Amino acid sequence: MTRPPNAPRSVLVVAALAVAFLTLPVLALLQRAPWSGLADLLRRREVVEALGVSLLVSLTAAGIVLVLGTPLAWVLARVDVPFRRLVRTLVVLPMVLPPVVGGTALLFALGRRGLVGQWLERWFDVTLPFTTAGAVVAATFVALPFYVITVEGALRTSGEDLEQVASTLGADPLTVLRRITLPRLIPAMGAGLALAWARALGEFGATITFAGNLPGRTRTLPLATFQALESDPEAAVALSLVLLAVSLAVLLPTRHRWLPTR
Amino acid sequence: MWTHPPSGAILLAVVASMVAAGCTEVPGDTALTVFVASSLTDVAADLTDEWTSTSGVGVELVVGGSNHLAAQVRDGAPADAFLTADAELLDDLQHRLLAKPVTDQTTDWMADRVPTIIHDLAINHLVVARPTAGPERRPADLRDPSLVLVACAAGVPCGDAAAARFGDLPIDSFEPSARAVVARLALDEADLGIVYATDVAAHTGLAQAWPQKPTCPCITYAAASLSPSGNPFVAFLTSDRARQILTEHGFAAGPPR
Repeated sequence: MTRPPNAPRSVLVVAALAVAFLTLPVLALLQRAPWSGLADLLRRREVVEALGVSLLVSLTAAGIVLVLGTPLAWVLARVDVPFRRLVRTLVVLPMVLPPVVGGTALLFALGRRGLVGQWLERWFDVTLPFTTAGAVVAATFVALPFYVITVEGALRTSGEDLEQVASTLGADPLTVLRRITLPRLIPAMGAGLALAWARALGEFGATITFAGNLPGRTRTLPLATFQALESDPEAAVALSLVLLAVSLAVLLPTRHRWLPTR
Repeated sequence: MWTHPPSGAILLAVVASMVAAGCTEVPGDTALTVFVASSLTDVAADLTDEWTSTSGVGVELVVGGSNHLAAQVRDGAPADAFLTADAELLDDLQHRLLAKPVTDQTTDWMADRVPTIIHDLAINHLVVARPTAGPERRPADLRDPSLVLVACAAGVPCGDAAAARFGDLPIDSFEPSARAVVARLALDEADLGIVYATDVAAHTGLAQAWPQKPTCPCITYAAASLSPSGNPFVAFLTSDRARQILTEHGFAAGPPR
């Protein structure tokens, strides 16, 4: 590697430290992995069960994110709604909110005695805490903002020129949306969905606070990892590897969306 | 250009004053860090207040599930003493920390011997509780699948004790600590929960689901000092005053030492 004239040595050193800081924990995890017994660990009932719950919860959450998030992103990018900046701040809030706080808030909103939850129970006999649906709600709550900001950003950078041309040629707004806007948006939607799905898969705090922890129902991979860490650290490492593999599987094909290609 | 102080200096001053303010609450370096099983939260506050008022040494309490705390100690967390709901955790730590159990009463507690262990610090019983707002229940309700039942997870002392005493139950959520179960009931999100008798006594939001007598299998608390400065604190826990505080909070005293 040649050192470009514009890179002071001190900056390079700090950058290298930062890289080490971010990669060391992952390397340590790999180093602690019980490679020889891994196949047996991954076939254990609690691991398979947690993986099943995690896939069901995160994929359902991703579906809801797609359905709710696409119109929201479009409105935020294209419609001059009142208090748009305030709305956007509120929408992004779950991204920075500690998930445990999110879970507590969900409990007060959708719990059995919650603001809305009490009516859900009274009218529809629906209670969300301690159910898989509750885990989906928690995952959707934390994942939706990731999708919305990705897609909204893409809508803003792509501009409105083609849409305006289509309108002047006589296309009605829904046709413009369907034939012009959405097809151009698909790569961004895919990237946003991948991010949101990864966030849903890794969700822990809101899930255990709002949905509880029951094998086969609400115990996702992160909850199972947390549980295993105290009784069976090897299993915890194995579960972590599953999550790591899934995260990489999401990041690698979509990284060009938000990372420079060189 | 320098008519205003640079903002960095202001920030530094603010941070420094915040740090200084934080330090006045805990008396500096001499404060002990004591890890405490979550079911001892309330009584530990009273115990450490008493300890601080007689010894002048402050205490910072770290509350959590015994097994989590033990894992943190294993990983090198700087605790001076550990009050656990699972004595076996201490046995495990003992091997690692070369602890020696106290064998007789004549031991010089103040000696810089690391660490000191007290088994049978106090006893606590499990009870089935309900939210005070909810209806009174019957023992058969424990197996009613339409009711929301929460308990501690396996590996957490209250979870292991619940499994030993009640066997397989249709539990809806395995919580990470006794306090988490209490919160579920206090928020009326669960109909029944397996908690400690002391939790029911301490929280107005909780009531015994039906009248229950203290029954074992139960929980026996143990304490260990993990540093020389933790020794006097752990010794204090065996004093008459400490036992009195434990009894006031509804803990049964351990066998006389």
